[in-house]
Amino acid sequence: MLNQLLHSIEVYLRHTPQGEFLRTAMWGWPIFESLHFLGMSLLLGTVGVFDLRLLGFARRIPIAALHRLIPIGISGFVINMVTGICFISATPDQYLFNKAFYWKVTFITIAGINVMIFYARTFRRLLEAPPDSPPPPGARLAGGVSLLAWIGVMSAGRLLTFFRP
Amino acid sequence: MESVYVWLEATSLSTWLRESPSLWAFPFVLILHTVGLAFFVGANVAWDVRVLGFSVGIPLESLRRYFLVMWIGFWVNAFSGVLLLLAYPTKALTNPLFYAKLALIAFGVVLALRIRREVDQFGGTDAPSLARTLAAVSLACWVAVIFAGRLLAYTCTRLTVDFPC
Repeated sequence: MLNQLLHSIEVYLRHTPQGEFLRTAMWGWPIFESLHFLGMSLLLGTVGVFDLRLLGFARRIPIAALHRLIPIGISGFVINMVTGICFISATPDQYLFNKAFYWKVTFITIAGINVMIFYARTFRRLLEAPPDSPPPPGARLAGGVSLLAWIGVMSAGRLLTFFRP
Repeated sequence: MESVYVWLEATSLSTWLRESPSLWAFPFVLILHTVGLAFFVGANVAWDVRVLGFSVGIPLESLRRYFLVMWIGFWVNAFSGVLLLLAYPTKALTNPLFYAKLALIAFGVVLALRIRREVDQFGGTDAPSLARTLAAVSLACWVAVIFAGRLLAYTCTRLTVDFPC
């Protein structure tokens, strides 16, 4: 039942225009991979450093100022969603029947839920706190979960090749 | 050089890295190299963007904190990079792109140090104009490093002494 569903998803993805494009375009795959690594760096260089600040490092940098770099991280995430969907569409069997892929999706989901809780509960109070003050436990937790989740995403991504069906 | 490749590939560390089925061998070193890359290049890019005039609320003096993230990333990658080189010395050393990648990294590090010196000497809220120009060059350099690194996998001619790529 589940296998049948996965197979129909596989057939569907394989025939999408982005899937056919990436499978056939000369140098398409390496260029998209490079973009995927670039997006990853944009994300970790901004969100990852923001997480470190939430954990209490570099307290002299105002949180609000560091937060202004976050759009760069979001653009990195968007680059990686687009290139990532293209990879999955090009060779869906390599992902849908690969446990590392599901670890990766799980870690991305954890990071997503974590960031929603952070903006809903912690962020505004953090901006109102006096500068240089030690970050509250909620902020530290959000920073730690985010950092570990993104390291998990990168690790699972790297392991994809080693768990190919 | 051929005898050097033969000798390196026969060492027990090289053989273990290349042939061990353990995820703690080659896959773990690759993960280290990827996470290190994200922080090293990511912090560099975020800093370049700040020097170019975005998010001016981040004090330029806090550059030192960014440098700490960069250097940790740099050394993680120097270490994991040497291990990757040891695992497949023929693959890397027979590929001209590998030397281009190393040269680009050296250029990027020199640029980062030069930008830091400019900012230290003349820094106010705005980075001096020379630092801005160098930051733009630095951004292009790190994009080139990522492309060069990723394309290594597609441009090699020899995997080991005995096997073609």
